Amino acid sequence: MATTEKTATVAVKPGEERLVSIEVVYRGIFQKTLAQRICRGVVLASRRRNYTGTAFARYGDSPERNGVPAKQFAVVAPTDLELEAGMAKYEPAVVDVSVAVDDTLVKGIESWAWYGRQPIWKPVRDNGFVLVTSNSTPDELVQQTDKAERPYTLAVVPGGASFAGLWVYKDDHTDYRVLGALARLLPDWLPIEDVKASIRESTKDEARVVSVQFGYDNVRTREVKKGEGTDAHEKLQFEKPGWTKMREGIIVEARKPGERNPFYKKYTARTLRPVVNFDTCIKCTMCWLDCPDECFEVTPSGHYEVVYEACIGCGICAQVCPVKDCIVMVDELKFTDNTDKFVLYDKQPDAYRQWFTEMTGLPAIGSDKPAATGGD
Amino acid sequence: MAVAATPNATLPQIKGVKDVPYDELFVSGHRTCQGCESALVMRHMIKAAGPRTIVLGSTGCMYVANTTYYTTPWVVPWMHTQLGAAGSAALGTSAGLKVLMRKGKLPNEKINVIAFCGDGGGADMGLGAISATLTHKEYNSLILLYDNESYANTDIQLSSMTPYGAITTFSPTGKAKRLMHTRWKKNVPGMLAAGHPESRYIAAACAGYAVDLMNKIRRALEVGGPTFIHTIDPCPKGWDYHPQYSQELGHLAVETGIWPLYEVFDNKLNLTGPTRQIAEGRKKRKPVVEYLKRQGRFAHFTDEDVDHFQGEVDKMWEKWLIPGVIPFTIAEKDRALLRVDTTPLHEVKKPA
Repeated sequence: MATTEKTATVAVKPGEERLVSIEVVYRGIFQKTLAQRICRGVVLASRRRNYTGTAFARYGDSPERNGVPAKQFAVVAPTDLELEAGMAKYEPAVVDVSVAVDDTLVKGIESWAWYGRQPIWKPVRDNGFVLVTSNSTPDELVQQTDKAERPYTLAVVPGGASFAGLWVYKDDHTDYRVLGALARLLPDWLPIEDVKASIRESTKDEARVVSVQFGYDNVRTREVKKGEGTDAHEKLQFEKPGWTKMREGIIVEARKPGERNPFYKKYTARTLRPVVNFDTCIKCTMCWLDCPDECFEVTPSGHYEVVYEACIGCGICAQVCPVKDCIVMVDELKFTDNTDKFVLYDKQPDAYRQWFTEMTGLPAIGSDKPAATGGD
Repeated sequence: MAVAATPNATLPQIKGVKDVPYDELFVSGHRTCQGCESALVMRHMIKAAGPRTIVLGSTGCMYVANTTYYTTPWVVPWMHTQLGAAGSAALGTSAGLKVLMRKGKLPNEKINVIAFCGDGGGADMGLGAISATLTHKEYNSLILLYDNESYANTDIQLSSMTPYGAITTFSPTGKAKRLMHTRWKKNVPGMLAAGHPESRYIAAACAGYAVDLMNKIRRALEVGGPTFIHTIDPCPKGWDYHPQYSQELGHLAVETGIWPLYEVFDNKLNLTGPTRQIAEGRKKRKPVVEYLKRQGRFAHFTDEDVDHFQGEVDKMWEKWLIPGVIPFTIAEKDRALLRVDTTPLHEVKKPA
């Protein structure tokens, strides 16, 4: 057992004996096991120094839904008493590091109704860290994070989002790279030697230890000053109704016809968004018919436009569309807003075609009227 | 968008996708999974039924995910009822409306009553109540069982509708035992059709065939009395596949013959969609492996398990009295006595 490792010293300076909280923000179900493994890894590594810790999931996220942002936590403290004091919360209000294991989460998260869209840095303490697994650079990611209300450090550990199902885990070492990166960000709390020793002991696999070192060596950081970031995302915040405002018997007003649920929009569940080539669309209605989230609306010309405020990016529309490359799923990080693009197509079809090509990398074929510029 | 709400309007059959009503009565902003087929069933159900409908939902994904935290995606009146109470709620609501109309407290107009339940709430806990409701022929109601083959809401526990061998949190695969769940799925619509001769409409459907599903819902509501529809809903969370394939998996469930589409309308069986084409020999049944290999819950299957699964499905099509509906057959000596031709479908000689 780890109790034999008594030689390790407690690196926390006197007077700073507080607990450290790490949250992992992830895509529900797809990354549930990954988040569990990261949180558990943090606690096990810190136990090597006789720190005490616990890993847990947020109650409000359960039952998790595919793609809907969820959180798990790892809380570590030098003593049991400290931990107990800190654990008297079901969700830490302030964390030292927020780990986003999918880079599209930096656009903000909305986990359930009335939650609003919250910036990724919301619970991160002053000068804390936001650690993202991404193939983009920190500079690119800052373009998509909300304007910072306090300074923090944005760290990026290279790698795409690791998605898996509930039963079959994709063991691509993302968890080990993240643990290595965390060791780099919190050297006093999570020394790299402890992380490596812990992984070596529990997995007996040197390749995993190498992945830890890779995360440690390759994490890129960028200071984000107060006010840096974007203003483009929708401000989605609610005043929760007090009990005096609620009706007897938990009666809720029904939706009006034509209205959508204003208290839960769900678009932060999206990692990819459908982009439609209206030129090749044959108006067959399949995307509209098979969308489980009612996000298509018919236009006067008979096309189906995507209401991006309601789209959760499941990809069914692209799958059922009978025309090749008519609906294309595109990385959510390429977009800054949810505006309806059919308006652009309607007014300036050529500008729309250019935009379509820019976003999808595909030629906007199917325009049977030759473009004014001629060309090929 | 104005929703037409004509009293006593009939619900004509939908001729094709272009004929599907445009109005949404179950709107976006429900907290279901990406690619949730059950949410699509709800949407199609209420599209087909129209605005003059009361919907009752027993506990399950379609209650918890849809109406969490003091919000609702429903445009029509909706009420939650307990797990296993879909049948009772349908009967009670229908009886209540009837009394209010008799006493003149409500105008005497047609109001559809639909109660939905999941496979846990319907096929496990609520079967007794559903059965009771289906015997009360004087009350109009539709019970819709959306079957995602597990208790998906509470993170995938085993239900009596979980298929043979599938992984759930109650039936994980392991070294000592590869298959923890070795019972064959219950045949709910067949059982209810066989056991409730006075119910005028019982059907098996799939949202992958949207027009077929909507027409079944309309027929059930039009025919009156207690009716029942069972849909199979691919569940990306519990079945473990990418959400974009929900439609495709629904199609595969039908095309492999695992989930036959049919209706029992006024005690007459009618096969619908691809199931009819398979029975007529116009379409070949796909091997079940095409369906199984797409899902993480069957990832541990060996060839032997696939063969067993295929064997059971073959038995259903070749040995059952009616494929997917009546699981027994009749002894050779009694065929003439009972005037039943038990020649398996695949052996029936087609007239040239």
